[in-house]
Amino acid sequence: MNKAYNPVWARNEALRTAAQSWHRRGLLPLPQLQAIREAYPLDFYRPNIYLRILLFLLTTLGYLAAGGFVALFAYDLFDSVVPWREQAKIGVVALLAALAGQFVLYGIIKLSRTYRAGSDQALLYLSLSFAGTALYCFVLMLFPASTDLFTLTSPYLALWLVLVLALLLWATARFGDALVAALAYVVALLLLANALLQLTAGRLVLPFAVMALAAGLYRLVRYLAARTDYWYYRTCFVALEVLALATFYLGGNYLVVREGNAAIGGLLVSEPIPFAPVFYLLTALIPLFYLYQGLRRPSRIWLLTGLATLAFSGYTLRFYHSVLPPAVAGALLGAFLIGLMAAALRYLRTPRHGLTAAPNNDAGERPGLNLEALVVAQTAHAPQAPEPGLQFGGGQSGGGGAQGQY
Amino acid sequence: MRAAPFIAELRDRGRLTPEQAAAIETDERTRPFSLHYEIRTLLYLGITLLSGGLGVLIYEHLDELGHGVVVAVVALLTAACFAYAARHRPPFSWGLVAGSSLLADYLLLLGCLLFLVLEGYLQAQYALFGTRYGLALALPAGLFFYLAYRFDHRGVLSMAITALAAWVGLSVEPLAVFKNEFLTGSVSRAAIAVGALLLLGGWLSETRHRKVHFAYTYLLLGGNLLLGTATAAMFTEVLQPLALLVILILAVSAGLFWYGRRVHSHLFLLLGATYGYVALTYGLAQLLSATGLNIVLALGLYYFIGSTVAAVWFLTHLKRLAGTAAHEQGL
Repeated sequence: MNKAYNPVWARNEALRTAAQSWHRRGLLPLPQLQAIREAYPLDFYRPNIYLRILLFLLTTLGYLAAGGFVALFAYDLFDSVVPWREQAKIGVVALLAALAGQFVLYGIIKLSRTYRAGSDQALLYLSLSFAGTALYCFVLMLFPASTDLFTLTSPYLALWLVLVLALLLWATARFGDALVAALAYVVALLLLANALLQLTAGRLVLPFAVMALAAGLYRLVRYLAARTDYWYYRTCFVALEVLALATFYLGGNYLVVREGNAAIGGLLVSEPIPFAPVFYLLTALIPLFYLYQGLRRPSRIWLLTGLATLAFSGYTLRFYHSVLPPAVAGALLGAFLIGLMAAALRYLRTPRHGLTAAPNNDAGERPGLNLEALVVAQTAHAPQAPEPGLQFGGGQSGGGGAQGQY
Repeated sequence: MRAAPFIAELRDRGRLTPEQAAAIETDERTRPFSLHYEIRTLLYLGITLLSGGLGVLIYEHLDELGHGVVVAVVALLTAACFAYAARHRPPFSWGLVAGSSLLADYLLLLGCLLFLVLEGYLQAQYALFGTRYGLALALPAGLFFYLAYRFDHRGVLSMAITALAAWVGLSVEPLAVFKNEFLTGSVSRAAIAVGALLLLGGWLSETRHRKVHFAYTYLLLGGNLLLGTATAAMFTEVLQPLALLVILILAVSAGLFWYGRRVHSHLFLLLGATYGYVALTYGLAQLLSATGLNIVLALGLYYFIGSTVAAVWFLTHLKRLAGTAAHEQGL
């Protein structure tokens, strides 16, 4: 599979980042750092974030406008020349738009050397959407006019999903884009659900099948990360690893399984599910396992996913059982967190088990610390008791943090 | 370890001496994994939940709880937080105090939040300050300013500034200015005065080397307060004359822009450019419509095309304007 971007770009970028961090830690003098920078130039175009957003929006607008303009003519032409069905016309126009988008994308990467600069991403996402639309139209033509493709249980959906999955896998291999890779995984999940829901026992097996698929994806990511151009696909690997961990957890989460079961079955109010104790156990244990692994490996992906899933487990518990009034629960949880973090800080005063509480780059002040202090102080408002008749409102907005949001 | 091939390659190409390569390799292998930001985030979550939970609890059970118990518990917690922070206080200095304890920092913040809970409760229950509401806000403002300087804490400083502005008559949370519906002439004038005072404070701390790192908080809050109020006053026409107001906004925006270039901060550049652009556009539109000619619409089109081009130019040259590119090179 030939790659759309020059793979040297990704590698040089990673190498320069590594060299920069060595310099910050005092292992590499500045002249040497500059020599390394000259030896590994970043000769691609990627502006700052504001401009990237602007480029993305402008390219999207231009692409859609040009596409719509051409589509109008093409449509008229088809009407007068070939008496096709409606879907065929839309499909052909979408296919042409997708091909044109890919062509322009190829051109700007070759000529302007854009590398995730906003414009190339817009072209990639839009041309893939057009291609997906075209595939949808062509699949629809194969079946009688009354078939409804867009329900998860429809047996015709699988054909379209397989085609889209193939398309997305091709695009992932070529462009190494994290969003496309994540979308490909979502399509694979849909395909799995669609296949299982054809069977009567499918609904029962579905959670476990999702977990198995997530575990399989994790193995696959580890395998591919060791055997392909890691730096070119780094963002894909990170996104897929997070998604694998998240879906493994969600597949076993009691709330998701119960409400999902009700949604598939068309129930308005969810009812208790079979194997409930298993799901309770999974909901409780998977986050703890993630956290343990995150600290043991150590891996930030596992750790942060573990924290997020732990919060969701708490939400699951409170969704079905009101354990304590929210205010009491919040205050107790807050006190517990402060105590736990105090203990962690004390324990990690000297690094242990390869963990430390000190910041990563100890040389110089971290950028953004100022803003962080401001945000922390401005959002952590203590709600004040009402002060009757105070003209100017006292300046504090009440109850800021009691919802326990993340 | 993903960096191993890089080290080997750089060593083979002579960019690193073998000793350096060995040192970097050892560092990459043995460097402990930092939990700093996770701990910070969870601590922040903890103090938010605790102070918020306690505040709501007091609200809800105002009648059932024994007042003495509530006051005692919250006062005790506040005192404990302050005591912990005081015990781990760094020596005072006009510069940045390095190596202050993370936990003490957050407990100081929690102590301040609990102090507000306690004060609000005392006022609601016992009318401690009677109708002298000003005192109820001036007290925390004074206390927080002292604590911010003594413990070198920027978060507490921004709380102190908020209390100060509330004392003068409004809330200075960014953007909250626009939500206040009581934007009268006197309030606007007071807010502009406080904003100017804060800007002056920031400038003095920077030039006189009195807590240089506090300048950011002063200038950001003061600049937003002044420019936000002045812009809102300009649109609602509560302050006259308009020309003076526009000139004031343009001058302060230019000042922030200049400061942003000086300290290589994108944020101040963007702030100055945005407020300045809004004021300039509004001022020009008012000027043209005052002439009574019917050319506003025609000119407006060109003006917006021109300003789009200018915005693109500004964003493409942001790094060069802020001097961050050169700044990063020398980092």
